[in-house]
Amino acid sequence: MKRTAHIGAVTIAAALGLAACGSSTTKPAAGGSTTTQKPSGSSDNGSATCGKPSGSGAYKVAFVYVGTVNDGGWTTAHDKGRQFAQTNLGDKVKTTYKATVKEGPEAAAAIESLIADGNRMIFATSFGFQDSMETEAKKHPEVCFEQATGFKTSANFAEYFGAAEDTDYLTGMAAGAASKNGKLGFVAPFPIPEVIREINSFALGAQTTHPGATVQVAWTKSWFDPTKERQAAEGLVAAGVDALGQGQDSPATGEVAKAKKLPWAGYDTDQSANFPDNWLTATVYNWGPYYQSRIAAAMAGTWKSGSYYGGPKDDFVGLAPFGKLVDQKTKDAIASKLAGFKDGSFYHLTGPLKDQSGAEKVAAGKALELKDILSMDWFVEGVKGSPKG
Amino acid sequence: MRSIAFERRTNTPKWLRIAVPMFGIAIALVLGAMLLAWTGHATTGTYRQILHRGFTDPGTFATTLVAATPLLFTGLTAAIAYRMGVFNIGGEGQLFIGAMFASFVGLGLGSAPTVVVVASMILAGAVGGSLWASIAAVLRDRFRCNEIITTLMLNYLAGILIQYLIFSSHSYWRELTGTGALFPQGRMLSERAQWPNPHIGGTPVPFGFIVGISFAVLIFVLLRSTRFGYRVRVIADAPAAAKYAGINARRTTFAVLALSGAMAGIGGASDVGDFRHTLDPKGLQQAGYGYTGIVVAALGRLNPIAVVFVAILMGGLNTAGLALQGPDFPAGLVGTLQGLLLFCTLGGEGLARYRIVIRRRAGSASRSAAPRSSSPRSAASPTEAPGLATGEVGG
Amino acid sequence: MNPESIDVLTAGTNLVPAVEMFGITKRFGDVVANDGVNFHACVGEVHALLGENGAGKSTLTNMLTGIYQPDAGEIRLYEKPLRLTSPRAAIAAGVGMVHQHFKLVPTFTVAENVVLGLSAEHRGVKFRRAAIERRVAELSERYQLAVDPAKKIWQLSVGERQRVELLKVLIREARILVLDEPTAVLTPQEADSLFVTLRSMADDGRTVIFISHKLYEVTAVSDRVTVLRDGRNIATVDTADCDQRSLAALMVGRDVQFDRRVGTHVRGDSEPVLIAANVDADGDDDRGALHAISLSLRAGEILGIAGVAGNGQRELGEVLGGIRRIRSGNIDVCGKQQTCGDPVAFAKSRVAYVPEDRLGTGLAPSLSIADNVALRSFRAAPFARPPFIRRRWLRSHTQELMSRYDVKAPGPETPIRKLSGGNIQKVLLAREFESDPLVLVVASPTRGLDVGAIENVRSLLVTAAERGTGIVLISEDLDEVRAMCDRIAVMYEGRIVGIVDGESADVNTLGLMMAGAT
Repeated sequence: MKRTAHIGAVTIAAALGLAACGSSTTKPAAGGSTTTQKPSGSSDNGSATCGKPSGSGAYKVAFVYVGTVNDGGWTTAHDKGRQFAQTNLGDKVKTTYKATVKEGPEAAAAIESLIADGNRMIFATSFGFQDSMETEAKKHPEVCFEQATGFKTSANFAEYFGAAEDTDYLTGMAAGAASKNGKLGFVAPFPIPEVIREINSFALGAQTTHPGATVQVAWTKSWFDPTKERQAAEGLVAAGVDALGQGQDSPATGEVAKAKKLPWAGYDTDQSANFPDNWLTATVYNWGPYYQSRIAAAMAGTWKSGSYYGGPKDDFVGLAPFGKLVDQKTKDAIASKLAGFKDGSFYHLTGPLKDQSGAEKVAAGKALELKDILSMDWFVEGVKGSPKG
Repeated sequence: MRSIAFERRTNTPKWLRIAVPMFGIAIALVLGAMLLAWTGHATTGTYRQILHRGFTDPGTFATTLVAATPLLFTGLTAAIAYRMGVFNIGGEGQLFIGAMFASFVGLGLGSAPTVVVVASMILAGAVGGSLWASIAAVLRDRFRCNEIITTLMLNYLAGILIQYLIFSSHSYWRELTGTGALFPQGRMLSERAQWPNPHIGGTPVPFGFIVGISFAVLIFVLLRSTRFGYRVRVIADAPAAAKYAGINARRTTFAVLALSGAMAGIGGASDVGDFRHTLDPKGLQQAGYGYTGIVVAALGRLNPIAVVFVAILMGGLNTAGLALQGPDFPAGLVGTLQGLLLFCTLGGEGLARYRIVIRRRAGSASRSAAPRSSSPRSAASPTEAPGLATGEVGG
Repeated sequence: MNPESIDVLTAGTNLVPAVEMFGITKRFGDVVANDGVNFHACVGEVHALLGENGAGKSTLTNMLTGIYQPDAGEIRLYEKPLRLTSPRAAIAAGVGMVHQHFKLVPTFTVAENVVLGLSAEHRGVKFRRAAIERRVAELSERYQLAVDPAKKIWQLSVGERQRVELLKVLIREARILVLDEPTAVLTPQEADSLFVTLRSMADDGRTVIFISHKLYEVTAVSDRVTVLRDGRNIATVDTADCDQRSLAALMVGRDVQFDRRVGTHVRGDSEPVLIAANVDADGDDDRGALHAISLSLRAGEILGIAGVAGNGQRELGEVLGGIRRIRSGNIDVCGKQQTCGDPVAFAKSRVAYVPEDRLGTGLAPSLSIADNVALRSFRAAPFARPPFIRRRWLRSHTQELMSRYDVKAPGPETPIRKLSGGNIQKVLLAREFESDPLVLVVASPTRGLDVGAIENVRSLLVTAAERGTGIVLISEDLDEVRAMCDRIAVMYEGRIVGIVDGESADVNTLGLMMAGAT
């Protein structure tokens, strides 16, 4: 029985890229998608103890958002994912959300309220909700909790995110090719491993299309702050960069690039329509299929906790349409690398990798392990700025 | 033809002081109903839901108290200062610094008995908040800097400071081990340093809320019955009279700002001790407790006891608002309903000091004999009727 | 007197009516400010509107100048019914108002202030800059309103500013001029020259309506007087037919003990209770306001301080009252040197002080009567049992004071600002008298009070002097100073320019001293 359930979970997991291994971390599959299962003492038997449908009505699932559903960025993308799941799962499911929820006690209140409304599954889409989610998960073992961009898990509390660094490598390629002087700028939110590995990937990508390219980093210490982002971007342009990338949720960097007629690679939203003249491409997340399958699993009683790290392989992360500044040669190069990511024949965070001082950090032929990627705190050669912020 | 004019009331009758907010709420409910109907939502159903999901449903009152606790403190912060005409809008920053001080002590005394830790955290929060407020007090006193500007700037500064402690430095507050390596976050308080949650009548009440009520009563007595409160009232009403009475306005202003900041600081301590158990710069900055506190104080007419009830009301509205919103009920609509309520009650306050006069505007009709009033004017009646341009602000 | 029995037009039957107000009623809440008032003023006359504070004078003229609209009644100008819905409409109809508090922009020149707010038709071709200055000069000359059009307002004296206000209404071609207590801020000489101006305007066919509660002015300048009391018009009389006493009786509604000559209260050999020696002090703007002030006050003496407003009397009052620091010099009370600027210490030395600014300095307007009674002594018993204020005791103490000093108010918790001017002053005096002072400094104690209240305040002061309190009476009202004081010190530009005997002082001598001519 136990075994069967486990196998069932594996099947689902396989479809999702959820490898239900008992080990604490696994090396990323060459495709970049993997899962880790923390030794949380959780039931390792694979049977879902949470999220069982109660009553006969539609299965209720709720999302907790930090922004408004029409912020045109992060929250919009998640809500599109919700609608995708709702549409595909039909009347059996009733999804809802709470928007502009503040991190802290208010998040807990929102979750409490959702559970009181009969929701059996809660997705929270901001890192700042993690502590509230953890507490509520403890309080409500009958409900399944899913946290985007977190790292804590328990029996009824799973975590999911995408390997944006893979596609950031590709946007870096586009930016490097578009740069004339080889000086690129990157407007970055926080000096944390998630962002550091994105910057490193962007730089490595740029260096393939523009040998010797450098990436100057400007920190905003905020995920979403158009004013600060604009100031950071202007600072970079003043310092001489002629192409911009970003890890921010607003298109403010693009506005600066547009004004200065410089190519720009965005992040997490397709802005090609608003920036027809200077748009390159961007990493975009595709949350819908994940939401659909996780909800379906919970309904079927096969939901299992874990850490999901989706990559290009299962289209969890991808690229926005190219702008006209990306030439055919670059497009072809990007396409071949993307195919490599997908079939596992290529992984960019593989040695030899040098750090900022030029010293070799990763030996030739050695691919970085997931745990090193998830805790990356150093910049590769060619990145200008401090990884400490 | 008729014309409508506003005339200043020479006297605001007592019944109006009760009737006006009631009337304001009624107007807000009517306008809200129109808005709901226009956007295609059930009106009475929505109102019933606000009542249920904010206050009466099992468990919701506990959530409401959680939301009310920080507002109680920041409400007191604003009320105390505004009583004296000191416009401390720095409750936000003072709360941050209070949280910073309290979490420092809470982390440091993690293994001490709970009573000791909680008391120390309250004290530390109070010290932090009042120190931060004192900066504005010194600037006001020495350089005549307007406290509205300085406290506002200090809010930003406090925000940057706690942000720095967690995001940009390896400070005492920051968790560097374990998951802390993945994302900058504050260290968690030990179990013992987390504030108790006594159940009163079956409802878990945040300890901070009990502390807040105690302070509200204390401040009420302080302002009403002590020499300190008397000084505050005189300075607020007539600075020249205070000088004439030999009242040291500088010292009193300092004390008031420090006390005001201390309240916000304890609010910060409660945020750490009661709820987050860590210093959370992002969460605190999102919450905007300090600014909402100003509204709470205004609605409570700067009365510390009223602030308690308004804080609960606001907390309830917040809880209900969260329950109400969703795909069919946008957060913006919730905010608009809440805004209507505040606008109508506060707007009513202003109107209570004026009367609406409707008079006929006809040349010939006005010739008719004027109705005579036989009431003799009492000795206490005001002297010449005040001109419309003279606008003193009444109580 | 029955108001209806007087035919309001008898005095001016041969004159053309300019202003006619019939049955004007105006209410503010429960208060009826004007109750069926009839008022008529003719072309070419100076018409005084006399009444106590609260009689409804300002309300009535505010309806004439478009600030208020009457609840009932009709206004006719030059026999045409009009609705004056705004001040602008009133100006267009030829009504100009000179307010008690000037409405001038201090940093603008006279000419700029005069044109400020002129309607388009006035600004047009007719009044270009040069034309304006010419017209200002012309008007100045015709009506003896000497003022330099190029000067900034802040450079002008109070009397000159008033002239600018007059020019403002004249340039708007006002044919009906309303002046609200215009002499309150003037020296006797300035007042006299104003009267000449008003007279010549009337002779030019304008109508001058002159609001006052000062009887001697009314008798000096007006052709006719309309007396208001309790919001009703009591009488309109020819000035020639009446004297101050009969006007006062009309105004108050009873006979008034008017010309109170106080006489001396000083015990011949009494020691000085207050000595000021060579006191220099700064004003609020940190410029010297008092220079080498020396004076002494004996027990039971009333020492008057006279002068035109702004010559240091206020600052002197503040120094003697203990709230203003001094730069040099000495102040002794009963031989004990005082720390200036420490009101608590002064109060301990039994110096009481009734400031000129009653509501705001002497009293906190929004606080209750009881709170205000505690203002100077809230620190210790019996008012406080630290750290608490003894609220119940304070209440009953206040109640007792109110009945002893005949303060009319609903109760001790009534906010001060809801009281009438006379009752406000009673509360202030009651509090200061209760401290059993050796020295009492009072500034303009009767300003703005009606005749009844003035009588009351003066008799309180006399009683205090008879009990042995030395009183410094600062006042711009020369009649008051002359009537009350044993000696009168006259101030000019921060100095005492002379001290004269109260009994022998005459207005002309005092007036000259006040103008700096010693």
